[in-house]
Amino acid sequence: MRHLIPEFEKMKERYPAGFESSLVLPCLRRVQEDRGFVSDDDIVALCEYLGVPRIQVEEVLSYYTMLLRKPLGKVHLQACRNIACSMRGAEGVIEHLCKRLGVKPGETTPDGTFTVSTVECLGSCGTAPVVMVNEAYHENVTLAQLDRLIEAVVEERAVVNGVEERAGVVEERAVDKGI
Amino acid sequence: MPRLTIDSREIEAKAGQTVMEAAREHGIFIPYFCWHPNLSVPGNCRICVVGVEDKGGEWVEIACNMPVAEGMVVFTASEKVKARRKATMEFITLNHPVDCGICDKAGECTLQDYHFEYNGERSVSRDAKLHATKHFDLSDRIVLDNERCIQCTRCVRFTREISKSNGLGMLSRGDHSIVRPSADGAFATDAYSDNVIDICPVGALLAKDFLHQARVWYLKATPSVCPGCERGCGVNLWHRREEWMLRSPRQAARNEGIDRVTPLDNPAVNGPWICNKARDIPKLLGRVRASGALFKGSPAPLEAAVLEARALIAEAKRPAAVVSSWASNEELQSFKSAVGTRFALVAKRDHEPQPGEVVQDELLIRADKNPNAAGVRAALGECAREVPKDADLVLVWGEGFDFRAVPPGAKIVFLNAFLAPENGHADVFLPISIQTERDGSYTNFAGVTSRFERCFAAPAGVLHAEALFPALVGHGRGA
Amino acid sequence: MPGRQLIMNFEVTPTSHTLEAYKARGGYETLAKALKMAPADITKEVTASGLLGHGGAAFPVGRKWGVMKPNPGEIHYLCANADEGEPGTFKDRWILEHAPHLLVESMLITSYALGVRHAFVYIRGEFDLPWRRIQAGIDDAYAAGYLGKPVFGSDFTLDIVVYRGAGSYVCGEASGLITSIEGRKPYPRNRPPRLTVRGLFQKPTVINNVESLANITGIIRMGAEEFRKVGTAKSPGTQLISISGHIAKPGVYEVEYGYPWAKFLDEDCGGVLHGAKLKCVVPGGISTKVLTRAEIEPLNLSHESVNPAGSGLGSGGMIVIAEGTCMVRLLQVLLRFYHHESCGQCTPCREGMGWMHRIIDRIVEGKGVPEDIERLYAISHANDGTTICGMGDAAGFATVGILNKYRDEFEYWIANGRSKMDGRLECLA
Repeated sequence: MRHLIPEFEKMKERYPAGFESSLVLPCLRRVQEDRGFVSDDDIVALCEYLGVPRIQVEEVLSYYTMLLRKPLGKVHLQACRNIACSMRGAEGVIEHLCKRLGVKPGETTPDGTFTVSTVECLGSCGTAPVVMVNEAYHENVTLAQLDRLIEAVVEERAVVNGVEERAGVVEERAVDKGI
Repeated sequence: MPRLTIDSREIEAKAGQTVMEAAREHGIFIPYFCWHPNLSVPGNCRICVVGVEDKGGEWVEIACNMPVAEGMVVFTASEKVKARRKATMEFITLNHPVDCGICDKAGECTLQDYHFEYNGERSVSRDAKLHATKHFDLSDRIVLDNERCIQCTRCVRFTREISKSNGLGMLSRGDHSIVRPSADGAFATDAYSDNVIDICPVGALLAKDFLHQARVWYLKATPSVCPGCERGCGVNLWHRREEWMLRSPRQAARNEGIDRVTPLDNPAVNGPWICNKARDIPKLLGRVRASGALFKGSPAPLEAAVLEARALIAEAKRPAAVVSSWASNEELQSFKSAVGTRFALVAKRDHEPQPGEVVQDELLIRADKNPNAAGVRAALGECAREVPKDADLVLVWGEGFDFRAVPPGAKIVFLNAFLAPENGHADVFLPISIQTERDGSYTNFAGVTSRFERCFAAPAGVLHAEALFPALVGHGRGA
Repeated sequence: MPGRQLIMNFEVTPTSHTLEAYKARGGYETLAKALKMAPADITKEVTASGLLGHGGAAFPVGRKWGVMKPNPGEIHYLCANADEGEPGTFKDRWILEHAPHLLVESMLITSYALGVRHAFVYIRGEFDLPWRRIQAGIDDAYAAGYLGKPVFGSDFTLDIVVYRGAGSYVCGEASGLITSIEGRKPYPRNRPPRLTVRGLFQKPTVINNVESLANITGIIRMGAEEFRKVGTAKSPGTQLISISGHIAKPGVYEVEYGYPWAKFLDEDCGGVLHGAKLKCVVPGGISTKVLTRAEIEPLNLSHESVNPAGSGLGSGGMIVIAEGTCMVRLLQVLLRFYHHESCGQCTPCREGMGWMHRIIDRIVEGKGVPEDIERLYAISHANDGTTICGMGDAAGFATVGILNKYRDEFEYWIANGRSKMDGRLECLA
């Protein structure tokens, strides 16, 4: 995590003085963006850097749905299962994704490429059904679109919202000592 | 000073108080799980609701976070309040396992008491209770049962606000919320960790030492003072009631032991907290005892030994006495008036900090690991630290004395409660009682004197030092 | 167009969100005007406008501000609530994506009025484009000198931090939001103290919904009197309504208060999907009680029309439900949501949400019993006004609203082990 400290220092500049505790969440998000998840070492380093108790970071990590302690697949497909999406076909979308990829919600394909999750309302009800693919919202999504997306990733390992690039970065940094 | 009415009784509260605090101060009971007088107010259990009169109606709200207001009219048991309390009890017991038959907390469990008082009926749920970890090793000393936990967060807040170890947290969310220790092991090294056992309102946090040892109604609590350091925290020593004593000879020894230690709230000294060392008093005082008098290691009749000691003291020209810092004020007075003037006085620290023990902190723990150094100073003044080199008799009282400091050729009279190799070094060895075998008092470092009471009879053949000292006055070996 | 437009009053293009485009529309001129007013006069103007909050509670914005008088030396905070987690609601996102500078200018004016030096935009963690747009907007405002330094010759300076959430509905609750910004688990707080007395890091804090804030620039620009000419006497101005579900033209519409509801559905939004009949509508977020077609007929979109009908416009998250939709399955989706989002702090919600979810799951599995309906009512009632935050109440209202109007469907499923409407949530052609 330590290589991110210069970024964190810049982040801190916009915050009022004495807001170290606030930085827990944005720092965790950045760590996860970098590594793909938050490791035990990251937690230790972050607590040291911010001067917050370990338990605070553990509570925050355990509470928010978007923060991960373990990596997921390279492509995280998060399908909304809330009301407007369910009324516009979300259940079919979820069923299709699970069947197509051979997983249950919450699981990752054995080759580590895809994870399928069901999530609550994403704030995109007008363009339901919606699937979040890594960072991006795929709105008004059809089964055919999802199939094409899956094929593109599997066959061409296409860039999906920068995930390929990010995967390369993660691999490189995993070798970097001192994290 | 706002005046308000609670249950038709007009009371005067202090500005800034909550209805909960004002009610308690005036002896009016409002039930609570998550509230604690020494912790922050989370207002999460919702059982402390009271009704407040408003425009001919009544609104119901929690009392622990309700500021007192002039002219407020409060009901602690209106129909609305009772209905709300019953619903709250239904929720709290919804997923609570009916473990009472195997749960140590039974008999002193807030949940049991409130269930009978505010609900008393079977569960209305048709759905299975949620499961969680039944036996989680929170530390070497404490076991956690997450199914029993009602998420009041008292334990978490204790580690955040009182012991400041930040050792516990509530992870996850919703009805999956679960108490867990932080992964850095801060709870395991929290010297005050065991207080969470007392403040847990249910049987979720239990002492491993006491696990399944006795039902709490088998025991009675005798007020005492912890001898672990010069803070002198108030403690309750729990031991078997007469009518519940174990009958079989094999188990009878347990009747003479302390089953557990809990805090005795002494606002002048420790409030409602004690450190973990106090919990270990049973081990500390339960060490093997010296059972009989000795002449240079050989068993001797007690009466003869007392007379021999008396004679040695009378014969000595320059006797010195090394005084115990575990002596009670009463024993010290007896020593002083009976034989005090005969001796050159030496003060002693019976116990020193052990490796790994917290020496001193900002909460309760003090570096002097003896309960009554202040009492010794008050009774006998400032004493020397070392035995005079020309002493021809040394009366050693209590533990922690290095017998190499005895001048060559000097006689030794040794008073000790516990079995130790040094007992055999003395010309006369006399076994004495410990604090649980007599009434007495200690004075702490700040000059506060606290009383302790007798739990057990002294073993046969063991003397009370208080009675011994007058018997050491006189000459000759005859009675 | 459902009435006069105050916010969505420009053509959305690929560049209409930029600083240049905003300035061409008169952007930041109102800030210059505001800085010549006394801060207290700005609050007075907002109070006079009658602006009601657009986060769901419709609390008068001026009244909330009025508690926090600017005191030199005292630290005050402002937070724009862009958490937008209420199912059915997606209108704050429109403002972040297409009018980010409207929010920035409004936050500047508001901060000046309230003595705020540091403000936050709390944006839900899932939002990507809305986040990039508002962050870029703020960065551009910094570059242009509106933020981070004294502006327009005054000595007023503002810093804005965009704080991204990480997946929690309860962060849309004002006290949960600020506890999240504090870097802790976002547990909502009991009141007292009000957040305008002790909020973010125990300092006085105003939290306003993004749409509420977006209205501020217009109010100061045109004045309270002009603003009040739009909408109705009791519901001045407009509301951004997010309409979704079984509707032909879902999306965000700015509706002038007082606009006829049936007309809005049938004409502006294209009517029910596939020409189906309307069963009922969730008016403003799932905690508002459903209203049937018949009940909607005589109503207009205003608080004074909808509230007496036993519901509310709430967050403006309108969900249209066609005939043939199974209300039991619908409630199941809602209870699953509430159970998932309960923070777990207080007893009635923590235990009650799971309980209700398990009951409805059991009904859907075919193992329901008649007393389950009474139990759902009892749990809802036991969460009404008894919890730390409004989520317990919300779940109760949603449940009671549906049970009151569609009890027959629940009784049918319990008696027959299956749905009265073939269990469908979709509206098929």
